[in-house]
Amino acid sequence: MKRRDLFAASLAAGIVGATRRGWASVPEASAALGRTALHGTIPRLVPIRAHADQITDIKVCLRPFRPAGPRLEVEHVAGKTVVHNYGHGGSGWSLSWGSAHMAVGHAAATLERKVAVIGCGIIGLTSALTAQRAGFDVTIYTRDLLPHTRSVRANGSWTPDSRIALTQQAGPGFAKTWEQMARYSWQTYRDYLGLPGNPIDFRDNYTLSDTPLDAADHAPEQVDPAKGSFATTGAPQNSAEFAIYASQISDIIPAAELLAGADNPFPVAYARRTPLMIYNFGAYGHLLLSEFYQAGGRIVIREFHSPSDLADLPERVVINCPGYAARDLWNDKSLIPVRGQTSWLPPQPDALYAVEYRGAAMISKSDGVMIQGYDMNGLGEMDGVGNSFEHPDRAEAEKAIAIIGDLFARFQPRNG
Amino acid sequence: MMTFFLSPLPHLRAATALMVCTLAGLAPASAAWAAPYTATHASNRGNNGPSVTFSAEQVTHGAQIYAGACAMCHGADLEGGHDVPDLGNYFMARWANTPLDRLAGYITHAMPLMAPGTLPPQDTAALVAFVLHHNGVTATSNTPLPMEEARQAKIRIPAPQALAAAPASKP
Ligand SMILES: Cc1cc2nc3c(=O)[nH]c(=O)nc-3n(C[C@H](O)[C@H](O)[C@H](O)COP(=O)(O)OP(=O)(O)OC[C@H]3O[C@@H](n4cnc5c(N)ncnc54)[C@H](O)[C@@H]3O)c2cc1C
Repeated sequence: MKRRDLFAASLAAGIVGATRRGWASVPEASAALGRTALHGTIPRLVPIRAHADQITDIKVCLRPFRPAGPRLEVEHVAGKTVVHNYGHGGSGWSLSWGSAHMAVGHAAATLERKVAVIGCGIIGLTSALTAQRAGFDVTIYTRDLLPHTRSVRANGSWTPDSRIALTQQAGPGFAKTWEQMARYSWQTYRDYLGLPGNPIDFRDNYTLSDTPLDAADHAPEQVDPAKGSFATTGAPQNSAEFAIYASQISDIIPAAELLAGADNPFPVAYARRTPLMIYNFGAYGHLLLSEFYQAGGRIVIREFHSPSDLADLPERVVINCPGYAARDLWNDKSLIPVRGQTSWLPPQPDALYAVEYRGAAMISKSDGVMIQGYDMNGLGEMDGVGNSFEHPDRAEAEKAIAIIGDLFARFQPRNG
Repeated sequence: MMTFFLSPLPHLRAATALMVCTLAGLAPASAAWAAPYTATHASNRGNNGPSVTFSAEQVTHGAQIYAGACAMCHGADLEGGHDVPDLGNYFMARWANTPLDRLAGYITHAMPLMAPGTLPPQDTAALVAFVLHHNGVTATSNTPLPMEEARQAKIRIPAPQALAAAPASKP
């Protein structure tokens, strides 16, 4: 099962003790995992109306995954100082501000006053804003604005170590870099909470299961030695190869709590609740763009066909944020596509929460109800790896929606 | 794999150990994602005045002072944070071309924040040497960084030279 859940469990346990600590053994962790949600704190939940005939949109995206983690180096090309900032896997939204802070630091060291940013996905936009805040005069050069980028085809929640690297290929040094990025981002996001339109918000996320969550957490990761590993085959082969760093920031991320039987409103035996930070793409995207223009930023629509095209830019420093497109544009063959798909149903402002059940996730956001089948075939982190079919799969969408639909078909709303 | 949040000290010790091993000429292994961007301060001359010198002993001593008095806020890797200035790239950009006595004076008067004025001149000089070294500034000789304000005033903090040609890194 997913080790991510193990951490959620351990985080819950961590709250109980006075000091932060790790568990010496799995039984110790499960014994300690006892904090249940305060009785009466589960609000009366309006059921989610999930049915395939409500689909408004199906979006497909390729996560820009690099086994060594995102590329943040400085390179000198076409007479420019190029600071790379791409390859954030399934964590680009979450890590954007921290990654931008690092990239702009490299740009600042040039003592230039003007900088060009390539790309207007979430990495390009946050890099551009961070550069403005560091005193740069910024021009974004991009083929597409945010609504047409892969970024808005994401799930859009705090997932800072989702397919961000392979533990071994990234090495222990990246674990530290990741922590700096994640902490910086998390703190920056707090500045966007509580604003009109709720660009950034929190949802109660209910993780549901028919079997004990605890047992699932502690089941060892399935590793098939016959498949080999990235080291032997050049491609990840097992979920266990993917890096998990969440425990490093458990001191600032809300922990999960168990729902005791009487409080559990869902038609499943096991449930827990975790406050989850989410991104409302519409409100947040517009806010970032207005901030950029208000601070004097410029956007030039332009497609680059080769790194040598940078030569005719007036700026001498370039922050390069093309996402997955770097595979061709910068010939970075270490980028591995990880396909993912989200379906969108009409907004349900009366039911603002999230659930995860049988490999499908639902988040009720201001711009729609998002449903994603993230692990419906038992592949764990390997789901979508190496798959670059960036075209909607209606059958997959309907399957994911049916999981959520079936859950709510059995749901008995309770009074009070 | 769990991380223990018992005390920051192990990190600090690790940082010091790393520094010592760097000084001994054993380059720490670095993964491709984070090739250190240091080759950029190569020239430390050319801004009218004596160039920066500091000794290996100062860097080592500075690392110890840093671990004890500064790392708590500025981070084991001088990375700073959301609410604390870094002592890396942004720091170098802010202080480039400034006479060294200003930086030493600032540290002496204002740092560490919880006990300003407690660092003796030799510790301050060592800290400056450590921070410059950490940012890739190479000393032109092993002559210690001076402690006297008048001599420091003649030396300027070198500007990073990122626009200079550097070997391209391949993905
Ligand atoms: C299904 C799915 C769910 C996800 N869920 C989450 C989540 O919940 N949380 C999270 O943090 N992350 C999530 N992610 C990951 C996240 O979406 C990515 O990491 C992030 O979008 C990458 O952003 P980017 O700005 O680097 O790339 P992109 O969004 O692809 O932007 C690239 C930009 O570069 C421009 N560009 C590209 N090529 C050129 C060129 N040749 N010339 C000029 N401009 C060019 C494009 O026009 C675009 O503006 C998810 C991803 C997927 C696929």
